[in-house]
Amino acid sequence: MNPKKRLKMSLNGERVDRPPCICPGGMMNMVTAELMERVGIYLPEAHTDARKMANLAKAVYEQGCFENCGVPFCMTIEAEEMGARVDLGSQIYEPHVVKYAIDSVSDYEKLSGIDLTKGRAKVVLDAIGILKEEVKDMPIIGNLTGPISTASSVIEPVVFYKELRKKNAEAHAYMNFVTEQLIAFGRAQVEAGADVITIADPSGTGEILGPRFFKEFAVRYINQLLDGLADLHVETIVHICGHMKNVYKEVSEVHSNALSFDSAVPMMDARKNLADRVLMGNVSTYTLEFGSEEAVRRLAGNCIKCGSDIVSPACGLGMSSPLRNIQALLSSVEESDG
Amino acid sequence: MSTKEELLKRLSEGVLEMEEDDVAEAAQEYIDAGYPALDAINQGLIDGMNQASELFEEEEYFVTDLLLCSDAMYAGINVLRPYLPEEKNDVKHKCVIGVVEGDTHDIGKNLVKIMLETAGFEMIDLGRDVPLQKFVDTAKEREAELICLSTLMTTTMPGMEEIIHLLEKEGLRDKVKVMIGGGPVSQNYADKIGADGYSTTAVEAVKLAKRLLAIA
Repeated sequence: MNPKKRLKMSLNGERVDRPPCICPGGMMNMVTAELMERVGIYLPEAHTDARKMANLAKAVYEQGCFENCGVPFCMTIEAEEMGARVDLGSQIYEPHVVKYAIDSVSDYEKLSGIDLTKGRAKVVLDAIGILKEEVKDMPIIGNLTGPISTASSVIEPVVFYKELRKKNAEAHAYMNFVTEQLIAFGRAQVEAGADVITIADPSGTGEILGPRFFKEFAVRYINQLLDGLADLHVETIVHICGHMKNVYKEVSEVHSNALSFDSAVPMMDARKNLADRVLMGNVSTYTLEFGSEEAVRRLAGNCIKCGSDIVSPACGLGMSSPLRNIQALLSSVEESDG
Repeated sequence: MSTKEELLKRLSEGVLEMEEDDVAEAAQEYIDAGYPALDAINQGLIDGMNQASELFEEEEYFVTDLLLCSDAMYAGINVLRPYLPEEKNDVKHKCVIGVVEGDTHDIGKNLVKIMLETAGFEMIDLGRDVPLQKFVDTAKEREAELICLSTLMTTTMPGMEEIIHLLEKEGLRDKVKVMIGGGPVSQNYADKIGADGYSTTAVEAVKLAKRLLAIA
């Protein structure tokens, strides 16, 4: 079974020979210092060059790390294209927003929409186009920053979170605008050749928002985004950070094929609470970076045993994660019998 | 006219209920009535904020709620500040706080700052994306006893370890306690890099800070 078919079947809840082992990209960074050195392609250059981005994405499976290629390698493109200023970071640091575009949700009409024909949005679409041409059996994963995380990258997050309550109607209008931009970018990624779309919304956690706002803002707009891609028949993964125990019910209403959690959520607990969902996760990135190969293997095995359908790191990889640990993760999943 | 107790209750409840404007108004009434400003802070505003932290620990309140409660608290403090007695000699414990270089996520850092400030610490907030050396330089200049470091990204975690090395190099390590927190950080990581403590929430951070500095 080739990795693309295995991932697609897993995402549709079909039986496969063994779980896929992936790291989508986007927030779930899979580029490490050792990988960059191995192939001589470096960040931050690969953030702005479609050819380099595609080649670095390919290196991820060519070097035996994961069974997918995914782009981009950050979660700042949407906000940047909507007017936020971004520092592209270095070989060590990820790109991050350094200046917000607007001061209040009420000002959202001043924002520019994402122009798919230029800037880093175009770099991503071109990179996906290249991968589509050159990659056969590996799934190409396009990544979107989730609605809350994008919204709170365009505005100072503290202001944003307060205005969810204080300017509720305007906050919804703003979220609607942001989500429409993400739908357009997501659709373009699928049209360019993405096989799967991952949406990561780390800023929209149950702990920050509480169950009520989690449902009212995080779940609602993630679903609006997913529904906006539905007619393209692309498989989807949604990654949410933080503890789930207060919001399992709300998260069960997310329309994606799969749900992914970070290491705050015990896989066994997620499986128990989300019995009929396809679950992805959640090997500790701490162990991947600082643990032994043996510890990584043990965690991977435990993850599968506890009910993970798709094995992946719990979060973005740390830059100094050794390749041998990541390769140990893949090989231990390959050796498993599902 | 309201009694002192009624006004203190209104201040406390106003913080708990996130009523920024009412808190400012009540604080003004309180001052106009000639009551001592310090009591309004300790028995009114901080009392409300402490109740909010309890609800946060019980998972009745969430981060967004605490941010709004703290806005209400600061609205009251702004009205009361000019009427506070001259600072006496009771020295506050100084704490340098910031998000390490490479990261701009500062919700957690802001919450910890609010909670430590509420608990009586003098907070020196360096903001986000802070160059590592700046933590050390500031702690040295201001003679801080505590450094709180936060990050939400795996890639910027090594900066925390680097800061501890910088403190060692400057011979400050035994004078300054280091506390760390943030999404990808864990007790394991704190142990590994030799930090003095780790906490999962802002409320826990206050307890930890007090324990590290042996404050009752």
